[in-house]
Amino acid sequence: MHKSPTSAFGLLAGVHLRQNWRRLSGVLRQSKLLSGTIFVFLFGYCWLSFAIFHRAMQFIGAFPGLGDLLVERMLFILFAFLFALLLISNLVITYSNLFRNRETSFLHSLPMDPNTIFQWKFLESTVVASWAFLFLIAPMLAAYGLVEGVAWSFYPMTLLMILMFVILPGFAGGWGAIGLARYMDRRQFQYSLLAIGVLTLGALAFWLKTEQITDDMLETRVMLVLDRLLKNTQFSQFAFLPSYWLASGVIAWSEGATSSTFFFILVLLSYGLFLGGLTMTLPGHPFYEASSAVQSRGSSMGWRFWHRWRKTPDDPLAQAFGKPSWIHRCMQLLFWIPSDRRSVLVKDVRVFWRDTSQWGQSLLLFGLLAAYIINLKNFSARLNNSFWIHLIAYLNLGACSLNLATLTTRFVFPQFSLEGKRLWIVGMAPIGLNKVIQIKYTLATLVSLILTGALIVLSCYMLRMPVSQMIYFTLVILVMSLSLNGLAMGLGVIYPNFKEDNPSKIVSGFGGTFCLVMSFLYIVGGILCLAIGSPWAQHATLFKTALAWGAFCLLSLLIGYLPYRIGIRRLRYLEI
Amino acid sequence: MIELHGLVKTFGELRAVDGINLTIPKGEFFAVLGPNAAGKTTTIKMMVGLIKPTEGFARVAGYDIQQQPLKARERLAYVPDFPFLYDKLTPVEFMQFTGQLFNIDPDRVRTQGSELAERFHLEPFLNKSIEGLSHGTRQRVAIASALLHDPEVFVIDEPMVGLDPQHARIVKDILKERSQKGMTVFLSTHQLSVAEELADRIGIIHQGRLVAVGTLKDLREQSGHDEALESSFLRLTSEQAATDAEI
Repeated sequence: MHKSPTSAFGLLAGVHLRQNWRRLSGVLRQSKLLSGTIFVFLFGYCWLSFAIFHRAMQFIGAFPGLGDLLVERMLFILFAFLFALLLISNLVITYSNLFRNRETSFLHSLPMDPNTIFQWKFLESTVVASWAFLFLIAPMLAAYGLVEGVAWSFYPMTLLMILMFVILPGFAGGWGAIGLARYMDRRQFQYSLLAIGVLTLGALAFWLKTEQITDDMLETRVMLVLDRLLKNTQFSQFAFLPSYWLASGVIAWSEGATSSTFFFILVLLSYGLFLGGLTMTLPGHPFYEASSAVQSRGSSMGWRFWHRWRKTPDDPLAQAFGKPSWIHRCMQLLFWIPSDRRSVLVKDVRVFWRDTSQWGQSLLLFGLLAAYIINLKNFSARLNNSFWIHLIAYLNLGACSLNLATLTTRFVFPQFSLEGKRLWIVGMAPIGLNKVIQIKYTLATLVSLILTGALIVLSCYMLRMPVSQMIYFTLVILVMSLSLNGLAMGLGVIYPNFKEDNPSKIVSGFGGTFCLVMSFLYIVGGILCLAIGSPWAQHATLFKTALAWGAFCLLSLLIGYLPYRIGIRRLRYLEI
Repeated sequence: MIELHGLVKTFGELRAVDGINLTIPKGEFFAVLGPNAAGKTTTIKMMVGLIKPTEGFARVAGYDIQQQPLKARERLAYVPDFPFLYDKLTPVEFMQFTGQLFNIDPDRVRTQGSELAERFHLEPFLNKSIEGLSHGTRQRVAIASALLHDPEVFVIDEPMVGLDPQHARIVKDILKERSQKGMTVFLSTHQLSVAEELADRIGIIHQGRLVAVGTLKDLREQSGHDEALESSFLRLTSEQAATDAEI
């Protein structure tokens, strides 16, 4: 009597398509101007990345004798790293979608085969995890096609290969998520995973260690340098990597080698069909077991963290209400801040720290930044060309400020919305919502300034910049911190989402996307102003520098102060 | 009917459900009471198959929920305290979705759905997006949708949360009617008045164990005093706590 698997899957697909269509329509109806801005931004981003890739490929392709080889190697490396990112992305998203999702519990209580539930959730997760990959890769492949002068058939063929490729990390993510959910409470599994992670990172750090290149080598032994570069990047051509099959297939088709292309297509297809067959038919029971394990566990990391180290006290009341915690003691040092505002700070710090899903994601971000910083030392300060020195300095500023924008959009924007259902607590308290927003803004600005300030100082040090430049860029980051936090906090109040508890979902809504777009435009505009009026540029004058800083500060005021002010005013008329 | 045999659930060192044995015959209205964190929701989750018991098994409408989950769920309806609904669907669309899932004929979904919508006073909301509805209205949509396929067993956790007195009355009446027509109802609630009014038998869970089960009269006798359910409940749960402390 229960619904056949195909029709149950169709039902779920129908419901979700309808939901998503209505979500999209709702967003488009909200404000045509803002939707238009986002659309223009997306189009602008595609065009800009296409232009950069096109220029870069032309530049690299013009290298005498080795141009084509270098462009190809670039493709292999890019696909290899994107494959690694897809693996992580699929694992995180699939886990969350399968096991931290109320819909899954609802579906488990219905006469629906767990296999069908898994199939739908797997498909959903793969699409969510992979759309960004397609978005990133499209301009690059378009640029490659243009540079290589390919036929029109290159594009649909490449699309086909990409679709067959993106499903593979999806399968890995699905099974990985089930394994993690099922065994994450077993201490040996956790320790093994940690050991494997550390060993893998160590091996990668050793294998991918860059070598020091002297100026002498650059002038007289270029081929040796290139040979080393090619040798160190050969891992991307490991024959069993799916990224290798994709890159090889794309390159073969662009060269007109149809039999090679079809060979790699068949390899992708065969793996896809084999793993797809396993994934679509076998995971029902392990998925249910894993769901049950997760439901039985609650927050596994939180539970283990909070209960492992605590012994049952003899007098729980005295222990609970006795000595103040370390957070309270730290906050008491900030004696000039009134105690009601300090209590909001303590609450925010505690809630953030105990929500591992929040700072767990930021670990990934900081890991990438660490890799970026470590590699900076290989940019020789003995570059003589002022253009390159300048460019690198401002690109570094761009990287640091984009990191700042990521932090503010991801963590600051949802702050007001997260108060959401708890607004009856802070909202009704005599502190007033204005002051709550002020204190959140202050905390966020301080933390992001410390993190991004450290990043800019470290990166300038690694690039062997003079102290004057280091101070200059740190000042820029200070202004950007104040501005971007104001923007994120203000927009968070103007576009709240009180229905969601998940910060990622709050950010992925209309307001969060708008915040990201505005942050990006501000950074691009600000850096352009500063670069044009740079005191270290050729033909630099004091007047030009002052004008540039004036424009930058005005822009910062508009972008940071205006939304914040509007947000504070909106609080007066807030209806919950 | 519902059969729970030696149900145990442990979370690490915590024994959340500690050997529950219970049989609820067809058509009985059974209410389960208990203090917070007594193990009621864990028991319910094992009963509907959301979590696997550490020991023991549960049978719903004659089918083991772990061994034959689909057959059991075809005959079961479960409404949790905060039911999940698809926000962007309307109540009609949600009922149609549920109806299709249970293979109910579309005409029957229409007729049955209309009747239930009328009984639950959902007419003004039928074509509005669920995300815009109040908690009480969403609760009514969830209960109406759960009744659509005429389940043999109906499990509901805290049904009256968010319902105004009028709609609470409607829910009580409908559940009682269906129970009298043969639907087994398992209701978990903190509201003793609901249990007193509706239940044929009442069970009290405390610290993972079924400390008392029977009719209102049985519970009074068990507590040793002829008094209101609240007093019996408090006495039974504090007696159990005292016994546990001694152990």
